[in-house]
Amino acid sequence: MTVLELREVSKVYGDGPAEVHALADVSMTVDDGELVAVMGPSGSGKSTLLTIAGTLEEPTRGQVLVGGAAVSGMSRNDRARLRRRSIGYVFQDFNLLAGLTAAENVSLPLELDGMPGKPARAAGLRALEELGLGERAASFPDELSGGERQRVAIARAVVGERRLLLADEPSGALDSANGEAVMRLIRAACHSGVGGVVVTHDAQLASWADRVVFLRDGRVVDQTAPIPGPESLLAPER
Amino acid sequence: MSVLAAERPGPVAGRGSGAPARRAVIRWGWRLFLREWRRHVLILAMLAVAVAATIVGLGASTNAVQLKADPTFGTASTVIILRGSDPRLGADIAALRARIGPVDVVAHQQVAVPGSVSTVDLRDQAPGGRFDGGTLRLDSGRYPAGSREVAVTRSTARLFGLEIGSSWTANGRTRRVVGIVENPLDLLDQFALVAPGQLAAPTSVSILTDWQPGPGDGLRLPSGTGMLISSRGKPGTAAVDAVVLALGTLGLLFVGLMAVSGFTVMAQRRLRALGMLASLGATDKHVRLVMLADGAAVGIVGAVAGGVAGLAAWFAFVPTLQSLSGHRIDRFALPWWAVGVSLVLAALTAIGAAWWPARSVTRMSVVAALSGRPSRPQPAHRFAAAGAVVLAGGLALLFFSDHGSEQRRAWFIILGTFATPVGLLLLAPLAIRILAAVGRHTGVAARLAVRDLVRYQARSGAALASVTLAIGIAATIAVSAAASDAPRAAGNLPTDQLMVYTSPDTPSDQVPPLSPSQLQTVTARLDALAGAIHARAVVALQQAYSPAAGLQPAQPGPGGRTVPAGYAAASLSQVTVQGHAISISRVDPLYVATPSLLAYFHIAPSAIDPGADVLSARTDLGGLKIFTPEFHAGPNPQPGSLPAGRAQLWDVTPRIQAFKQLPLYTSDPGTLLTSGALHRIGLEAVTAAWLIQAPGPLTGRQIQTARATAAGVGLYVETAAKQASLAPLRNWSTVVGILLALGVLGMTVGLIRSETAGDLRTLAATGATSTTRRAITGATSGALALLGALLGTAGAYAALLVWYRSDLSPLGRVPVANLAVILAGLPLLAAVGGWLFAGREPPEIARRPLE
Repeated sequence: MTVLELREVSKVYGDGPAEVHALADVSMTVDDGELVAVMGPSGSGKSTLLTIAGTLEEPTRGQVLVGGAAVSGMSRNDRARLRRRSIGYVFQDFNLLAGLTAAENVSLPLELDGMPGKPARAAGLRALEELGLGERAASFPDELSGGERQRVAIARAVVGERRLLLADEPSGALDSANGEAVMRLIRAACHSGVGGVVVTHDAQLASWADRVVFLRDGRVVDQTAPIPGPESLLAPER
Repeated sequence: MSVLAAERPGPVAGRGSGAPARRAVIRWGWRLFLREWRRHVLILAMLAVAVAATIVGLGASTNAVQLKADPTFGTASTVIILRGSDPRLGADIAALRARIGPVDVVAHQQVAVPGSVSTVDLRDQAPGGRFDGGTLRLDSGRYPAGSREVAVTRSTARLFGLEIGSSWTANGRTRRVVGIVENPLDLLDQFALVAPGQLAAPTSVSILTDWQPGPGDGLRLPSGTGMLISSRGKPGTAAVDAVVLALGTLGLLFVGLMAVSGFTVMAQRRLRALGMLASLGATDKHVRLVMLADGAAVGIVGAVAGGVAGLAAWFAFVPTLQSLSGHRIDRFALPWWAVGVSLVLAALTAIGAAWWPARSVTRMSVVAALSGRPSRPQPAHRFAAAGAVVLAGGLALLFFSDHGSEQRRAWFIILGTFATPVGLLLLAPLAIRILAAVGRHTGVAARLAVRDLVRYQARSGAALASVTLAIGIAATIAVSAAASDAPRAAGNLPTDQLMVYTSPDTPSDQVPPLSPSQLQTVTARLDALAGAIHARAVVALQQAYSPAAGLQPAQPGPGGRTVPAGYAAASLSQVTVQGHAISISRVDPLYVATPSLLAYFHIAPSAIDPGADVLSARTDLGGLKIFTPEFHAGPNPQPGSLPAGRAQLWDVTPRIQAFKQLPLYTSDPGTLLTSGALHRIGLEAVTAAWLIQAPGPLTGRQIQTARATAAGVGLYVETAAKQASLAPLRNWSTVVGILLALGVLGMTVGLIRSETAGDLRTLAATGATSTTRRAITGATSGALALLGALLGTAGAYAALLVWYRSDLSPLGRVPVANLAVILAGLPLLAAVGGWLFAGREPPEIARRPLE
């Protein structure tokens, strides 16, 4: 089942001489359990694609459907609800809320969605334990290493009934070992049925994806299945 | 590797996000408040200071103006004064009691102070009286009992060198001092208290009563003697309430502006975190709630801290206010309802102020918030038109505030006080744009600085508004205090002068002539006195009299003294014909413009118009006449009620020439009769007094020496009456206003400069040194301070010009030093502060900040 569909999406910033076409007629789909990598040079529109897919921005033209629901007719509150319930976002610079512990950061989307504190925190703790961070649940973000912070961010992105995981350069601020570990976790999340989109410059990391979309000047110039990477040896069934 | 669990928390669809979401968001807001308390220190401090200042202002305005009792009336409505010489005084008082109900009786006798024109009131008053209980308080010792005891005020004790246990001889009777007392409603009231019924021969008797005379409600005494009845209306509280409310309004407006400035800064600093929250699925309501929770925390903590600080400051300020207001003040006599409302409103204001930037954040796109980019400035002209209208409306309300009923006046004052600064605040963005236009031709640093003020108008406009309000309040207090310190209101004499009179009744109506030998003796003594106090000048003063009237007989004077036989002196008087009688009210004594007196005031004789009769700096002498009593000694002379047929013989409408260098103090020789007028009217001059100019304020010892010298030759000394100066109020208001303004500037300029870190990076890349960076920050800070000082001072003068429009002369006394500090010192301090604090290179120049 398709969890994300972009139909001829365009995005224009500014007007007159300052007009910039960040995306031009981009169409793509992401299915359940599929991990799509988006690659391209700087200014090609990768991050814009992700923010539009994540309902953080509206396209100038075209349609975005998340879980089959069109985003364009939604109010700001409806889009917020959609993000709480269906979309998980992982940023390059972690974007954890400094005043909350790791467990509270993870459980925040559930609490925002109305789940009482105790079960929400229990769910958050479980998610952290699954990522090997159970012992750091009570730590604040500034007490965690970069790799640990990104793992907390991933836990927050997948907690609950999320169906779409969007990651913008998730390993950009990490060393290669931690970067690999983060991609492994995203891959594992997709194995459990979540559709994923990862923006990256790194071809090595893109090799973890089922499919790679190449962007240049806001247009999709190529879509291809990647050369099987080393993980294919670990997952011979795919 | 770890894998995600297949089991996920139960579905939440359909469940309202209400309470759990709010709890989570408020928890985060509270944690942020706790974690970032250092960032809140400045805004908390500003809030606390604003609340504290409001509390002190409320206390001061209430206690300085509002008194339920009166120093003379106590809580009585009417005071009836009977002559002490009434032969049937006891019967008259009993008759009054029977006629008007309960009364308090206070008997008075004047005690002369040797060598001085002043007297002390020897008072026979029962402590704890029904109406006058509030006018008597025991400070130490005990109340007198019996005929040989007395209690005195501190000033009386100082005057006569008394203390508890010492003996005092007054009007021929010796009494032991057993206590120190005071009139709490008038701390300058100088008196001595004897036990009830112990004043054998009073000069006068005051009857205090609740009775109020109505039309045709005549009182007659059995003795048939006259009496003086004075009544006072109910003390009006509407004007006081208006002042309190206006102050409260200004205080809260200031608190609100401070808070808006502060929360705008906080919202900008948290922009990325708020963007993160929104990216997680928080609604606009949730995002606003974070800022509102922060606002509530800051507001409550600030209000409580400000309340505690305000009460502490108020308790510390009470002694100063007592000396300023001249009456005892109960530390707990605060308008508690207003204090409570101020605290609650301060917290609510902070929440409201947090809402505005929260609203701005939620109007941004999540991506813009995540990037930390500030929003574009609003056009300035939109506010300017509204500002001009509101300012004009505010001034109009103040203009019309002294017409109509009291209630209307109060509301006009409140609304006018609110609208005037709000109008100025709305004009702030336009002022910034004008400054940017003016700064187009300056150097690169100043040019960049003022353009950045326009670019970050939301921040700079709020900061300028706060600075303008802080300076506006300070300037209003300084200018008002200077206006109230005008010389005529300041008292009888400057502190570095003393007057020596030949008569105890001063300024003399009746001048006893001195023989040549007496004059020689007096002159020698005064010269010795002048030498002892290093006087800069001794000027003999003459008054004029009509030789036709001749010498008037001796008559009773103040303090039981006798005014010796002398000439009736000419004066400027209000002469009113009432039917067959003439009412004459003396307004100003006239001194002859002798060459030595003119020289003392640096007036060249050639500058005097030959046709002028009177020289003065006063502007309120129109309609007055030179009145010269000409009545001859008789059995019962009545100078206040003379036959109409002779009026033209005694009064002359003078031609007055203005000389601004002449003094305005009430006892100084400031209204002079020219020698031309002397001859035209046919008057003669007689030496009446001497003015001694000391090099500085006279000390208590010098005044004692002067009194002793004067007493030795039968003269009387007058020195400056104790008068509290408003200079400390003026200076402290200026200092506090400047400190508040600097605090606001520190908060805002730092933010504007951090937002322009990109420009600094570019400047650094193009080779600009730290001097350029310092110059930009200094210019930003100095420009905002200069604009705030100009707008605030202009606003203060605009409001005061309207307020004082019926008589603008008090505004002629400009507090030059205070205004110079505000207009030049504040911008300079701000610029220097900006220069110094911009020394450290901001880390944003090297790298963009990551959350």
